[in-house]
Amino acid sequence: MHISDGVLPTVVSLGGYAAGLAIAAWSAKQIRPDDLPKVAVVTSAFFVASLIHVPIGPTSVHLLIPGLVGILLGNGAFLSISLGIALQSLLFQFGGLTAIGANAVMMGIPALISGWLFRALSRNNASRRVWVGATTGGLGVFLSVLMLALLLMTGGEDFVGVAKIAMYAHLPVLAIETAISGIVVSFLIRVKPELLDDAFTSSISGR
Amino acid sequence: MTSLPQVITLPFTYLIFVGGGTVLFWLLWIFLTRQIQSKKKFTSSSEERDWRIPIIDSQSGGDSLFHRWDPRIKLCALVVFMFCVASLTQLFWASIALITAFIAVAAAHIPFQYPLRRVAAMGAFLSMFLVVMPLTAPVKPADTRIVFEGISWMQFNLRGFFLALLICLKAIAIALLTEPLLSTAPFSVTIQALARLNAPPILCQMLLLAHRYIFVFQDEAGRMLKGMRARGFKKQRNMETVRTLGNFLGMLLVRSFDRTQRVFDAMTARGYTGTWPNGVVFRVYPNDWIKGVFWVMLGCGMLICDRWLNAPV
Repeated sequence: MHISDGVLPTVVSLGGYAAGLAIAAWSAKQIRPDDLPKVAVVTSAFFVASLIHVPIGPTSVHLLIPGLVGILLGNGAFLSISLGIALQSLLFQFGGLTAIGANAVMMGIPALISGWLFRALSRNNASRRVWVGATTGGLGVFLSVLMLALLLMTGGEDFVGVAKIAMYAHLPVLAIETAISGIVVSFLIRVKPELLDDAFTSSISGR
Repeated sequence: MTSLPQVITLPFTYLIFVGGGTVLFWLLWIFLTRQIQSKKKFTSSSEERDWRIPIIDSQSGGDSLFHRWDPRIKLCALVVFMFCVASLTQLFWASIALITAFIAVAAAHIPFQYPLRRVAAMGAFLSMFLVVMPLTAPVKPADTRIVFEGISWMQFNLRGFFLALLICLKAIAIALLTEPLLSTAPFSVTIQALARLNAPPILCQMLLLAHRYIFVFQDEAGRMLKGMRARGFKKQRNMETVRTLGNFLGMLLVRSFDRTQRVFDAMTARGYTGTWPNGVVFRVYPNDWIKGVFWVMLGCGMLICDRWLNAPV
Protein backbone atom coordinates (compact mmCIF):
# COMPACT_ATOMS: atom_id res chain seq x y z
CA MET A 1 0.00 0.00 0.00
CA HIS A 2 1.42 3.37 -0.97
CA ILE A 3 0.81 6.71 0.68
CA SER A 4 -1.37 9.02 -1.40
CA ASP A 5 -1.28 12.78 -1.74
CA GLY A 6 -2.31 15.04 1.06
CA VAL A 7 -1.56 12.62 3.90
CA LEU A 8 1.99 13.50 4.86
CA PRO A 9 3.01 16.89 6.20
CA THR A 10 4.62 18.90 3.39
CA VAL A 11 7.96 18.98 5.19
CA VAL A 12 8.00 15.17 5.29
CA SER A 13 7.10 14.75 1.61
CA LEU A 14 9.73 17.30 0.57
CA GLY A 15 12.25 15.61 2.87
CA GLY A 16 11.27 12.29 1.29
CA TYR A 17 12.08 13.70 -2.14
CA ALA A 18 15.45 15.02 -0.95
CA ALA A 19 16.42 11.74 0.73
CA GLY A 20 15.02 9.65 -2.14
CA LEU A 21 16.92 11.60 -4.81
CA ALA A 22 20.17 11.48 -2.83
CA ILE A 23 20.02 7.72 -2.25
CA ALA A 24 18.83 7.08 -5.83
CA ALA A 25 21.81 9.05 -7.16
CA TRP A 26 24.15 6.95 -4.99
CA SER A 27 22.37 3.81 -6.08
CA ALA A 28 22.66 4.78 -9.76
CA LYS A 29 26.42 5.20 -9.36
CA GLN A 30 26.72 1.56 -8.28
CA ILE A 31 25.23 0.31 -11.53
CA ARG A 32 27.45 -0.42 -14.49
CA PRO A 33 25.99 0.55 -17.88
CA ASP A 34 25.90 -3.15 -18.81
CA ASP A 35 23.57 -3.82 -15.93
CA LEU A 36 20.96 -1.30 -17.04
CA PRO A 37 18.77 -3.93 -18.74
CA LYS A 38 18.74 -5.99 -15.57
CA VAL A 39 17.70 -2.98 -13.50
CA ALA A 40 14.99 -2.10 -16.01
CA VAL A 41 13.67 -5.68 -15.98
CA VAL A 42 13.50 -5.84 -12.20
CA THR A 43 11.85 -2.40 -12.14
CA SER A 44 9.17 -3.65 -14.50
CA ALA A 45 8.80 -6.83 -12.41
CA PHE A 46 8.36 -4.70 -9.31
CA PHE A 47 5.70 -2.77 -11.18
CA VAL A 48 3.92 -5.84 -12.54
CA ALA A 49 4.04 -7.60 -9.15
CA SER A 50 1.52 -5.08 -7.87
CA LEU A 51 -0.90 -6.50 -10.44
CA ILE A 52 -0.52 -10.13 -9.34
CA HIS A 53 -3.20 -10.92 -6.81
CA VAL A 54 -2.82 -13.93 -4.55
CA PRO A 55 -6.01 -15.18 -2.90
CA ILE A 56 -5.72 -15.57 0.87
CA GLY A 57 -8.49 -16.02 3.41
CA PRO A 58 -11.59 -14.06 2.47
CA THR A 59 -9.69 -11.59 0.32
CA SER A 60 -6.72 -11.33 -2.00
CA VAL A 61 -3.49 -9.40 -1.63
CA HIS A 62 -1.14 -8.09 -4.24
CA LEU A 63 2.60 -8.60 -4.11
CA LEU A 64 5.03 -5.85 -3.13
CA ILE A 65 8.42 -7.64 -3.56
CA PRO A 66 10.80 -5.01 -2.13
CA GLY A 67 12.86 -7.87 -0.65
CA LEU A 68 13.15 -9.69 -3.97
CA VAL A 69 14.25 -6.50 -5.73
CA GLY A 70 16.99 -6.13 -3.11
CA ILE A 71 18.06 -9.76 -3.55
CA LEU A 72 18.28 -9.36 -7.33
CA LEU A 73 19.89 -5.93 -7.58
CA GLY A 74 21.87 -5.30 -4.40
CA ASN A 75 22.84 -1.63 -4.20
CA GLY A 76 21.02 -0.85 -7.42
CA ALA A 77 17.72 -1.82 -5.82
CA PHE A 78 16.96 1.64 -4.53
CA LEU A 79 17.06 3.19 -8.02
CA SER A 80 14.85 0.40 -9.32
CA ILE A 81 12.30 0.81 -6.53
CA SER A 82 12.17 4.59 -6.96
CA LEU A 83 11.51 4.22 -10.67
CA GLY A 84 8.88 1.56 -10.07
CA ILE A 85 7.15 3.73 -7.48
CA ALA A 86 7.25 6.72 -9.82
CA LEU A 87 5.73 4.67 -12.65
CA GLN A 88 3.05 3.21 -10.39
CA SER A 89 2.12 6.70 -9.29
CA LEU A 90 2.15 8.20 -12.78
CA LEU A 91 0.23 5.37 -14.46
CA PHE A 92 -2.10 4.02 -11.77
CA GLN A 93 -2.16 6.61 -9.00
CA PHE A 94 -0.78 3.95 -6.62
CA GLY A 95 0.82 6.47 -4.31
CA GLY A 96 0.60 10.20 -4.80
CA LEU A 97 2.78 12.36 -6.99
CA THR A 98 3.82 14.53 -4.05
CA ALA A 99 4.61 11.40 -2.00
CA ILE A 100 6.84 9.62 -4.56
CA GLY A 101 9.95 10.48 -2.55
CA ALA A 102 8.55 9.23 0.73
CA ASN A 103 7.17 6.06 -0.88
CA ALA A 104 10.52 5.38 -2.55
CA VAL A 105 12.32 5.67 0.79
CA MET A 106 9.66 3.50 2.45
CA MET A 107 10.20 0.59 0.04
CA GLY A 108 13.76 1.28 -1.11
CA ILE A 109 15.62 1.21 2.18
CA PRO A 110 14.10 -2.17 3.19
CA ALA A 111 15.11 -3.44 -0.27
CA LEU A 112 18.71 -2.37 0.35
CA ILE A 113 18.73 -4.02 3.78
CA SER A 114 17.23 -7.24 2.40
CA GLY A 115 19.79 -7.28 -0.39
CA TRP A 116 22.73 -6.79 1.99
CA LEU A 117 21.48 -9.48 4.34
CA PHE A 118 20.90 -11.94 1.49
CA ARG A 119 24.44 -11.42 0.24
CA ALA A 120 25.93 -11.61 3.70
CA LEU A 121 24.06 -14.70 4.84
CA SER A 122 23.68 -16.88 1.78
CA ARG A 123 26.54 -19.20 0.99
CA ASN A 124 26.81 -21.28 -2.12
CA ASN A 125 24.32 -23.69 -0.70
CA ALA A 126 21.01 -23.97 -2.52
CA SER A 127 18.71 -24.84 0.37
CA ARG A 128 20.27 -22.23 2.59
CA ARG A 129 19.82 -19.66 -0.15
CA VAL A 130 16.13 -20.50 -0.39
CA TRP A 131 15.61 -20.05 3.35
CA VAL A 132 17.61 -16.84 3.46
CA GLY A 133 15.71 -15.62 0.39
CA ALA A 134 12.35 -16.31 1.98
CA THR A 135 13.34 -14.65 5.25
CA THR A 136 14.84 -11.55 3.66
CA GLY A 137 11.86 -11.33 1.28
CA GLY A 138 9.53 -11.30 4.26
CA LEU A 139 11.82 -8.89 6.08
CA GLY A 140 11.55 -6.48 3.15
CA VAL A 141 7.78 -6.30 3.57
CA PHE A 142 8.04 -6.11 7.36
CA LEU A 143 10.45 -3.16 7.24
CA SER A 144 8.39 -1.41 4.55
CA VAL A 145 5.26 -1.67 6.67
CA LEU A 146 7.21 -0.38 9.66
CA MET A 147 8.38 2.60 7.60
CA LEU A 148 4.81 3.14 6.37
CA ALA A 149 3.57 3.29 9.96
CA LEU A 150 6.39 5.66 10.98
CA LEU A 151 5.71 7.95 8.01
CA LEU A 152 1.99 8.02 8.77
CA MET A 153 2.73 8.88 12.38
CA THR A 154 4.66 12.01 11.34
CA GLY A 155 1.18 13.45 10.79
CA GLY A 156 0.59 13.53 14.55
CA GLU A 157 -1.19 11.41 17.12
CA ASP A 158 -4.40 11.40 15.04
CA PHE A 159 -2.67 9.06 12.59
CA VAL A 160 -1.62 6.43 15.13
CA GLY A 161 -4.84 4.45 14.73
CA VAL A 162 -4.55 4.38 10.94
CA ALA A 163 -0.90 3.34 11.20
CA LYS A 164 -1.83 0.40 13.44
CA ILE A 165 -4.62 -0.77 11.14
CA ALA A 166 -2.31 -0.51 8.14
CA MET A 167 0.23 -2.72 9.93
CA TYR A 168 -2.32 -5.41 10.77
CA ALA A 169 -3.71 -5.29 7.24
CA HIS A 170 -0.27 -6.20 5.91
CA LEU A 171 0.14 -9.39 7.95
CA PRO A 172 -1.29 -11.59 5.13
CA VAL A 173 0.98 -9.82 2.65
CA LEU A 174 3.93 -10.64 4.90
CA ALA A 175 3.04 -14.34 4.92
CA ILE A 176 2.45 -14.57 1.17
CA GLU A 177 5.52 -12.54 0.37
CA THR A 178 7.78 -14.77 2.49
CA ALA A 179 6.49 -17.84 0.66
CA ILE A 180 6.70 -16.28 -2.80
CA SER A 181 10.25 -14.97 -2.23
CA GLY A 182 11.45 -18.42 -1.21
CA ILE A 183 9.77 -20.00 -4.23
CA VAL A 184 11.16 -17.43 -6.67
CA VAL A 185 14.68 -17.83 -5.26
CA SER A 186 14.50 -21.62 -5.50
CA PHE A 187 13.12 -21.32 -9.03
CA LEU A 188 15.95 -19.01 -10.09
CA ILE A 189 18.58 -21.31 -8.52
CA ARG A 190 17.29 -24.13 -10.68
CA VAL A 191 16.63 -22.19 -13.87
CA LYS A 192 18.94 -19.20 -14.09
CA PRO A 193 21.30 -19.00 -11.11
CA GLU A 194 23.37 -16.20 -12.62
CA LEU A 195 20.53 -13.77 -11.89
CA LEU A 196 21.24 -14.25 -8.19
CA ASP A 197 24.98 -13.63 -8.49
CA ASP A 198 26.26 -10.37 -7.21
CA ALA A 199 25.62 -8.19 -10.24
CA PHE A 200 28.34 -5.76 -9.32
CA THR A 201 31.31 -8.04 -8.87
CA SER A 202 30.73 -10.76 -11.41
CA SER A 203 29.91 -10.05 -15.02
CA ILE A 204 26.49 -11.07 -16.19
CA SER A 205 26.54 -13.91 -18.61
CA GLY A 206 23.02 -13.22 -19.66
CA ARG A 207 22.98 -15.43 -22.69
CA MET B 1 -18.16 24.82 14.82
CA THR B 2 -17.89 26.11 18.38
CA SER B 3 -21.66 26.16 18.64
CA LEU B 4 -21.89 22.37 18.51
CA PRO B 5 -22.20 20.57 21.83
CA GLN B 6 -19.34 18.36 22.88
CA VAL B 7 -21.19 15.09 22.94
CA ILE B 8 -24.09 14.28 20.66
CA THR B 9 -26.00 11.21 21.75
CA LEU B 10 -27.99 9.43 19.12
CA PRO B 11 -30.42 6.54 19.59
CA PHE B 12 -29.06 3.08 18.86
CA THR B 13 -31.28 2.69 15.80
CA TYR B 14 -29.30 5.45 14.07
CA LEU B 15 -26.25 3.22 14.21
CA ILE B 16 -28.06 0.59 12.20
CA PHE B 17 -28.92 3.20 9.58
CA VAL B 18 -25.37 4.54 9.48
CA GLY B 19 -23.88 1.05 9.33
CA GLY B 20 -26.36 -0.05 6.67
CA GLY B 21 -25.70 3.12 4.69
CA THR B 22 -21.95 2.53 4.81
CA VAL B 23 -22.33 -1.05 3.64
CA LEU B 24 -24.68 0.06 0.85
CA PHE B 25 -22.27 2.77 -0.24
CA TRP B 26 -19.44 0.26 -0.23
CA LEU B 27 -21.40 -2.22 -2.33
CA LEU B 28 -22.30 0.58 -4.73
CA TRP B 29 -18.64 1.53 -4.98
CA ILE B 30 -17.64 -2.07 -5.80
CA PHE B 31 -20.46 -2.27 -8.33
CA LEU B 32 -19.35 0.96 -10.02
CA THR B 33 -15.69 -0.04 -10.23
CA ARG B 34 -16.73 -3.42 -11.62
CA GLN B 35 -18.83 -1.61 -14.20
CA ILE B 36 -15.94 0.63 -15.22
CA GLN B 37 -13.68 -2.39 -15.56
CA SER B 38 -16.13 -4.64 -17.35
CA LYS B 39 -16.84 -2.01 -19.98
CA LYS B 40 -13.27 -2.17 -21.15
CA LYS B 41 -12.77 -5.86 -20.56
CA PHE B 42 -12.77 -8.35 -23.33
CA THR B 43 -12.18 -11.52 -21.33
CA SER B 44 -15.09 -13.29 -19.77
CA SER B 45 -13.40 -14.58 -16.62
CA SER B 46 -14.08 -12.26 -13.72
CA GLU B 47 -11.45 -13.68 -11.39
CA GLU B 48 -8.52 -12.40 -13.41
CA ARG B 49 -7.29 -8.87 -13.10
CA ASP B 50 -7.32 -6.53 -16.01
CA TRP B 51 -3.72 -6.84 -17.13
CA ARG B 52 -3.82 -3.91 -19.46
CA ILE B 53 -1.79 -0.94 -18.41
CA PRO B 54 -3.25 2.51 -18.98
CA ILE B 55 -1.59 4.54 -21.70
CA ILE B 56 -0.12 7.47 -19.86
CA ASP B 57 -0.31 9.96 -22.73
CA SER B 58 -3.55 8.86 -24.31
CA GLN B 59 -4.77 12.41 -24.82
CA SER B 60 -1.55 13.88 -26.18
CA GLY B 61 -3.07 14.36 -29.64
CA GLY B 62 -5.61 16.88 -28.43
CA ASP B 63 -5.52 20.63 -28.35
CA SER B 64 -6.15 22.82 -25.33
CA LEU B 65 -4.50 25.39 -23.12
CA PHE B 66 -2.59 22.54 -21.46
CA HIS B 67 -1.51 20.94 -24.74
CA ARG B 68 -0.08 24.22 -25.99
CA TRP B 69 1.83 24.82 -22.75
CA ASP B 70 5.61 24.34 -22.71
CA PRO B 71 6.11 21.03 -20.85
CA ARG B 72 8.96 22.35 -18.71
CA ILE B 73 6.96 25.26 -17.32
CA LYS B 74 3.87 23.03 -17.07
CA LEU B 75 5.76 20.51 -14.94
CA CYS B 76 7.21 23.13 -12.61
CA ALA B 77 4.06 25.20 -12.19
CA LEU B 78 1.67 22.29 -11.68
CA VAL B 79 3.98 20.46 -9.27
CA VAL B 80 4.33 23.64 -7.20
CA PHE B 81 0.54 23.96 -7.25
CA MET B 82 0.16 20.32 -6.15
CA PHE B 83 2.47 20.83 -3.20
CA CYS B 84 0.48 23.92 -2.22
CA VAL B 85 -2.72 21.86 -2.34
CA ALA B 86 -1.12 19.10 -0.29
CA SER B 87 -0.29 21.66 2.41
CA LEU B 88 -3.84 22.98 2.83
CA THR B 89 -5.40 22.60 6.28
CA GLN B 90 -8.99 23.86 5.88
CA LEU B 91 -11.87 21.96 4.32
CA PHE B 92 -13.13 25.04 2.48
CA TRP B 93 -9.90 25.71 0.62
CA ALA B 94 -9.41 22.01 -0.10
CA SER B 95 -12.87 22.00 -1.73
CA ILE B 96 -11.86 25.04 -3.80
CA ALA B 97 -8.76 23.10 -4.88
CA LEU B 98 -10.93 20.15 -5.89
CA ILE B 99 -13.19 22.41 -7.97
CA THR B 100 -10.12 23.99 -9.57
CA ALA B 101 -8.86 20.52 -10.47
CA PHE B 102 -12.18 19.62 -12.09
CA ILE B 103 -12.09 22.84 -14.12
CA ALA B 104 -8.51 22.07 -15.17
CA VAL B 105 -9.50 18.59 -16.39
CA ALA B 106 -12.40 20.04 -18.34
CA ALA B 107 -10.20 22.78 -19.79
CA ALA B 108 -7.68 20.18 -20.92
CA HIS B 109 -10.44 18.37 -22.86
CA ILE B 110 -9.74 15.08 -21.13
CA PRO B 111 -12.65 12.61 -20.93
CA PHE B 112 -13.52 12.22 -17.25
CA GLN B 113 -13.13 8.44 -17.27
CA TYR B 114 -9.32 8.80 -17.14
CA PRO B 115 -9.05 10.96 -14.03
CA LEU B 116 -11.88 9.00 -12.39
CA ARG B 117 -9.92 5.78 -12.81
CA ARG B 118 -7.12 7.41 -10.82
CA VAL B 119 -9.57 8.31 -8.07
CA ALA B 120 -10.92 4.75 -8.03
CA ALA B 121 -7.37 3.41 -7.57
CA MET B 122 -7.09 5.35 -4.32
CA GLY B 123 -10.46 4.13 -3.06
CA ALA B 124 -9.21 1.50 -0.61
CA PHE B 125 -6.51 3.69 0.89
CA LEU B 126 -8.76 6.71 1.35
CA SER B 127 -11.75 4.80 2.69
CA MET B 128 -9.44 3.31 5.32
CA PHE B 129 -8.83 6.86 6.56
CA LEU B 130 -12.53 7.74 6.45
CA VAL B 131 -13.48 4.69 8.52
CA VAL B 132 -10.56 4.46 10.92
CA MET B 133 -9.77 8.07 11.75
CA PRO B 134 -13.11 9.10 13.31
CA LEU B 135 -12.94 6.07 15.58
CA THR B 136 -9.30 6.29 16.60
CA ALA B 137 -8.41 9.98 16.68
CA PRO B 138 -7.64 10.86 20.30
CA VAL B 139 -10.36 13.01 21.86
CA LYS B 140 -9.32 16.56 22.71
CA PRO B 141 -11.34 18.79 25.07
CA ALA B 142 -12.90 20.86 22.27
CA ASP B 143 -13.87 17.91 20.09
CA THR B 144 -17.42 17.05 19.16
CA ARG B 145 -18.18 13.39 19.56
CA ILE B 146 -21.14 11.36 18.41
CA VAL B 147 -22.04 8.57 20.79
CA PHE B 148 -24.70 5.97 20.25
CA GLU B 149 -26.94 4.98 23.12
CA GLY B 150 -25.94 1.75 24.78
CA ILE B 151 -22.45 1.52 23.35
CA SER B 152 -20.18 4.01 25.01
CA TRP B 153 -16.92 2.41 23.88
CA MET B 154 -17.49 3.53 20.32
CA GLN B 155 -17.13 7.25 19.90
CA PHE B 156 -17.31 8.92 16.55
CA ASN B 157 -14.93 11.86 16.70
CA LEU B 158 -16.02 14.55 14.26
CA ARG B 159 -12.57 16.15 14.23
CA GLY B 160 -11.09 12.87 13.03
CA PHE B 161 -13.78 12.61 10.38
CA PHE B 162 -13.08 16.11 9.06
CA LEU B 163 -9.37 15.40 9.03
CA ALA B 164 -9.95 12.27 6.95
CA LEU B 165 -12.28 14.22 4.66
CA LEU B 166 -9.60 16.88 4.19
CA ILE B 167 -7.09 14.20 3.19
CA CYS B 168 -9.56 12.73 0.70
CA LEU B 169 -10.32 16.11 -0.89
CA LYS B 170 -6.64 16.95 -1.29
CA ALA B 171 -5.74 13.51 -2.63
CA ILE B 172 -8.55 13.57 -5.20
CA ALA B 173 -7.72 17.13 -6.28
CA ILE B 174 -4.07 16.24 -6.89
CA ALA B 175 -4.97 12.96 -8.61
CA LEU B 176 -7.28 14.82 -11.00
CA LEU B 177 -4.56 17.35 -11.77
CA THR B 178 -2.15 14.56 -12.69
CA GLU B 179 -4.10 14.02 -15.90
CA PRO B 180 -3.66 17.53 -17.36
CA LEU B 181 -0.04 17.36 -16.19
CA LEU B 182 0.92 14.07 -17.84
CA SER B 183 -1.54 13.15 -20.54
CA THR B 184 -1.45 16.39 -22.53
CA ALA B 185 2.01 15.71 -23.97
CA PRO B 186 3.67 12.51 -25.23
CA PHE B 187 5.39 10.72 -22.33
CA SER B 188 8.80 10.94 -24.02
CA VAL B 189 8.40 14.70 -24.36
CA THR B 190 7.49 15.03 -20.68
CA ILE B 191 10.60 13.03 -19.76
CA GLN B 192 12.71 15.18 -22.10
CA ALA B 193 11.34 18.23 -20.34
CA LEU B 194 12.31 16.67 -17.01
CA ALA B 195 15.83 16.09 -18.34
CA ARG B 196 16.08 19.73 -19.48
CA LEU B 197 15.15 20.75 -15.96
CA ASN B 198 18.44 19.15 -14.84
CA ALA B 199 16.94 15.95 -13.52
CA PRO B 200 19.65 13.23 -13.36
CA PRO B 201 19.93 11.83 -16.93
CA ILE B 202 20.14 8.23 -15.72
CA LEU B 203 16.79 8.60 -13.93
CA CYS B 204 15.11 9.91 -17.07
CA GLN B 205 16.55 7.21 -19.30
CA MET B 206 15.69 4.43 -16.91
CA LEU B 207 12.17 5.80 -16.56
CA LEU B 208 11.72 5.61 -20.33
CA LEU B 209 13.34 2.16 -20.56
CA ALA B 210 11.29 0.75 -17.70
CA HIS B 211 8.12 2.24 -19.14
CA ARG B 212 8.89 0.42 -22.39
CA TYR B 213 9.66 -2.87 -20.64
CA ILE B 214 6.43 -2.80 -18.67
CA PHE B 215 4.62 -3.49 -21.90
CA VAL B 216 7.05 -6.29 -22.78
CA PHE B 217 6.36 -7.79 -19.37
CA GLN B 218 2.65 -7.38 -19.73
CA ASP B 219 2.71 -9.15 -23.05
CA GLU B 220 4.81 -12.00 -21.67
CA ALA B 221 2.68 -12.31 -18.52
CA GLY B 222 -0.53 -12.37 -20.52
CA ARG B 223 0.76 -15.17 -22.72
CA MET B 224 1.97 -17.22 -19.75
CA LEU B 225 -1.34 -16.81 -17.95
CA LYS B 226 -3.18 -17.95 -21.04
CA GLY B 227 -0.99 -21.03 -21.17
CA MET B 228 -1.52 -21.73 -17.48
CA ARG B 229 -5.26 -21.42 -17.83
CA ALA B 230 -5.26 -23.69 -20.87
CA ARG B 231 -3.56 -26.30 -18.66
CA GLY B 232 -6.30 -25.98 -16.08
CA PHE B 233 -4.77 -23.52 -13.60
CA LYS B 234 -7.30 -21.79 -11.42
CA LYS B 235 -6.55 -19.47 -8.52
CA GLN B 236 -7.51 -21.14 -5.27
CA ARG B 237 -6.83 -20.56 -1.63
CA ASN B 238 -4.09 -23.09 -1.16
CA MET B 239 -0.34 -23.46 -1.07
CA GLU B 240 -0.31 -24.91 -4.57
CA THR B 241 -1.58 -21.63 -6.00
CA VAL B 242 1.09 -19.69 -4.11
CA ARG B 243 3.75 -22.07 -5.42
CA THR B 244 2.51 -21.76 -8.98
CA LEU B 245 2.38 -17.97 -8.79
CA GLY B 246 5.91 -17.90 -7.37
CA ASN B 247 7.17 -19.98 -10.26
CA PHE B 248 5.17 -17.75 -12.59
CA LEU B 249 6.95 -14.66 -11.26
CA GLY B 250 10.34 -16.39 -11.51
CA MET B 251 9.68 -17.49 -15.08
CA LEU B 252 8.48 -14.01 -15.96
CA LEU B 253 11.80 -12.61 -14.70
CA VAL B 254 13.88 -15.16 -16.61
CA ARG B 255 12.05 -14.76 -19.91
CA SER B 256 11.89 -10.98 -19.79
CA PHE B 257 15.54 -10.79 -18.86
CA ASP B 258 16.59 -12.88 -21.84
CA ARG B 259 14.47 -10.78 -24.12
CA THR B 260 15.65 -7.47 -22.70
CA GLN B 261 19.28 -8.54 -22.94
CA ARG B 262 18.78 -9.20 -26.65
CA VAL B 263 17.13 -5.80 -27.14
CA PHE B 264 19.94 -4.09 -25.27
CA ASP B 265 22.58 -5.86 -27.36
CA ALA B 266 20.77 -4.77 -30.50
CA MET B 267 20.67 -1.20 -29.23
CA THR B 268 24.38 -1.29 -28.44
CA ALA B 269 25.12 -2.66 -31.89
CA ARG B 270 23.29 0.30 -33.38
CA GLY B 271 25.41 2.75 -31.45
CA TYR B 272 23.54 3.27 -28.20
CA THR B 273 25.96 4.85 -25.75
CA GLY B 274 23.64 5.65 -22.91
CA THR B 275 21.99 8.81 -24.23
CA TRP B 276 19.00 9.35 -26.45
CA PRO B 277 19.20 11.69 -29.42
CA ASN B 278 17.60 15.01 -28.60
CA GLY B 279 14.74 15.24 -31.00
CA VAL B 280 12.50 17.65 -29.17
CA VAL B 281 12.88 21.40 -29.47
CA PHE B 282 11.28 23.40 -26.71
CA ARG B 283 10.20 26.97 -27.34
CA VAL B 284 8.91 29.29 -24.68
CA TYR B 285 6.41 31.99 -25.50
CA PRO B 286 5.12 34.71 -23.13
CA ASN B 287 1.86 32.76 -22.94
CA ASP B 288 3.67 29.85 -21.28
CA TRP B 289 5.04 32.12 -18.58
CA ILE B 290 1.65 33.70 -17.99
CA LYS B 291 0.05 30.28 -17.42
CA GLY B 292 2.93 29.24 -15.18
CA VAL B 293 2.74 32.39 -13.07
CA PHE B 294 -1.06 32.00 -12.88
CA TRP B 295 -0.89 28.47 -11.42
CA VAL B 296 1.92 29.26 -9.00
CA MET B 297 0.09 32.39 -7.80
CA LEU B 298 -3.15 30.44 -7.49
CA GLY B 299 -1.45 27.79 -5.37
CA CYS B 300 0.37 30.27 -3.16
CA GLY B 301 -2.75 32.41 -2.86
CA MET B 302 -4.80 29.45 -1.67
CA LEU B 303 -2.09 28.49 0.79
CA ILE B 304 -1.92 32.04 2.19
CA CYS B 305 -5.72 32.25 2.50
CA ASP B 306 -5.68 28.85 4.16
CA ARG B 307 -3.22 29.97 6.81
CA TRP B 308 -4.41 33.50 7.53
CA LEU B 309 -8.11 33.61 6.70
CA ASN B 310 -10.76 31.73 8.55
CA ALA B 311 -12.88 30.16 5.87
CA PRO B 312 -16.59 31.01 5.85
CA VAL B 313 -17.55 27.35 6.29
